[in-house]
Amino acid sequence: MTLFKSPAVATLTLACGLAAGGLSASDRLVHDGEFMVDGMIFGLPEARVYTEDYSGPPVVGDYLTAVPHLAELDYDGNRTHEVRMDVISQQIEVAPGKFYNAWTFGGSVPGPTLHVREGDRVVFTMKNRSDEPVVITEPVAGGSPFFGQIQANPIQNHQPAISPMPHSMDFHSGTVAANDKWQTIPPGVTIQFEWVANYPGVYMYHCGTPSVLMHTAQGQYGAVVVSPKEGFPVEADREYVLVQSEFYLTEDEYSGGYRYDHAAAMARDPSQVTFNGHVNALHDEPLRANAGERVRLYVLNAGPSGTSSFHVIGAIFDRVWYEGNLENEWRGMQTVLLGASNGAVMDFIVPEAGSYKLVDHEFADAERGAAGTLVAGPRKQ
Amino acid sequence: MRTLLILLTLSLPTAAPADDNGIVFIDGGDWELPIVREVATGSGRVDDFLLDARQVTNAEFLDFVRAHPEWRRDRAPGIFRDARYLSHWPQADALGESNARPDRPVTRVSWFAARAYCRELGGRLPSMTEWEYASERQRQSVGTSPEDYARELFSWYANPGAGSLRSVAEGEAPGLGIHGLHGLVLEWVEDFQLVLGRGDDIDLLTGSCGDTARFLPEFDEAHYATFLRFQSRSNYQPDTTTSTLGFRCAYDPE
Repeated sequence: MTLFKSPAVATLTLACGLAAGGLSASDRLVHDGEFMVDGMIFGLPEARVYTEDYSGPPVVGDYLTAVPHLAELDYDGNRTHEVRMDVISQQIEVAPGKFYNAWTFGGSVPGPTLHVREGDRVVFTMKNRSDEPVVITEPVAGGSPFFGQIQANPIQNHQPAISPMPHSMDFHSGTVAANDKWQTIPPGVTIQFEWVANYPGVYMYHCGTPSVLMHTAQGQYGAVVVSPKEGFPVEADREYVLVQSEFYLTEDEYSGGYRYDHAAAMARDPSQVTFNGHVNALHDEPLRANAGERVRLYVLNAGPSGTSSFHVIGAIFDRVWYEGNLENEWRGMQTVLLGASNGAVMDFIVPEAGSYKLVDHEFADAERGAAGTLVAGPRKQ
Repeated sequence: MRTLLILLTLSLPTAAPADDNGIVFIDGGDWELPIVREVATGSGRVDDFLLDARQVTNAEFLDFVRAHPEWRRDRAPGIFRDARYLSHWPQADALGESNARPDRPVTRVSWFAARAYCRELGGRLPSMTEWEYASERQRQSVGTSPEDYARELFSWYANPGAGSLRSVAEGEAPGLGIHGLHGLVLEWVEDFQLVLGRGDDIDLLTGSCGDTARFLPEFDEAHYATFLRFQSRSNYQPDTTTSTLGFRCAYDPE
């Protein structure tokens, strides 16, 4: 799968668009009150909060995938994405035998990865369905590619759960008034708002409802990848999304299972630290590549509170674009430090056939699960 | 029947605990909410009040709905309840199994419906302060440690048992004679929304992130467990119903 879009093609598209008058500044402004600063769009309309009779797929949109997959941007220039990610409760496993009732966007932890292009507009809809059981492990008509990928690799063994709670959505990729767009909605209510991907990057989204520590530690986060409009300067052969996060679980004497441990979360003492939501996620289904290939990782450290010193054993990051912005290019990095909610695009060239461990080089985290594997085949000519 | 019980209770000496169907007298006192609102205002006075010893049941709410069909789920105006109001009942005026059994706490009731019910009985919803005061007095009376209180509440948040609620008033009512303030359902109170100042703006604790430390005098688990109750209530709307949200009534002493 090649997701790369060459700068030459992008430039050509832009030029054609301008020649046809299709990309003028005013055409990108949709609603009254919107304005542009330095080519970026601000002043988006107020969020709409309403009730709807909706019981369809909790994740809708062609560019929403389950980690480590990233959707291909199979269109030129900019477009508007209609995206739905409903809040649902779900029992998930994060390590063998360690189940808990997670609060999620779309049913997995981390939630679906949204891929858009810099300048794209997102019309986002979210219903708080925390008070109804929602199954995500059966085929869904009208759902996003996310469901097929979850069903192909159901490592979290998702089971519907009910845990009515107020929730909200905060996209770090959006530039808006948070008290409006990121407002909390009760169970049964839907919110719809827009944001424009003004900056490229690997962004976190999460529930911002207090206690935000509990809501995020319960599983409400995921990644938005905003690819730069001019594309990356080098072509990648493989692209994968990695989301690192901590879990704070303790045995629950009442249910016999596990539950969130607030004292441990406050003390930053996680029970598990994972890549893509399970200590075995990238061991049972390792990432794949071949010798000589350029692997591009979109890495987000979702926290909620820890840092990640991301490293690939046996490789050096040829190029790193911190926060996924081409202006922030580093070369020859052994480790990339990501604070909570920092992201980066990291390229490395696979040296030879073999097994490459991906780790948080803060070894206390690696020991608790922040490790994975990339299996490399022989060089393909 | 409940009205009769109120009269009976009122005629009793004020400290008497209620039986399983009764009403508990809570003597007031100087008290400070465990959650700091806006500016620390110090302790305030809580007046004496009466509180149902347990939540209102499906059976009781069905009686109310039969007497006041305007509160049937197929007749109550949409502005007074959301689409899932009483939706766990098999029919608009009939109970059933599981959470719709007669002895289970009535859930999927809006604030409007809960208020109407209590008013019909000559009562009202408890104020947030009254409910929280009763909760703290009950904890003191039972001798529940902050750690045990937090453990039970966090466990309930994690696994609220929404699919199979227990019946109300199980076992002996401990302490002040109040059943299940925690661990069965969350309960409506009259002033359920926290109104918070933010410069010239106000907020009902719906804003994103980072607004927790302002409200907590201590950052221990017990205060967080309490905070989550305030936070959840504050983000409901008056027409909200959920499978884990019920109520009980309060009354003014004569």
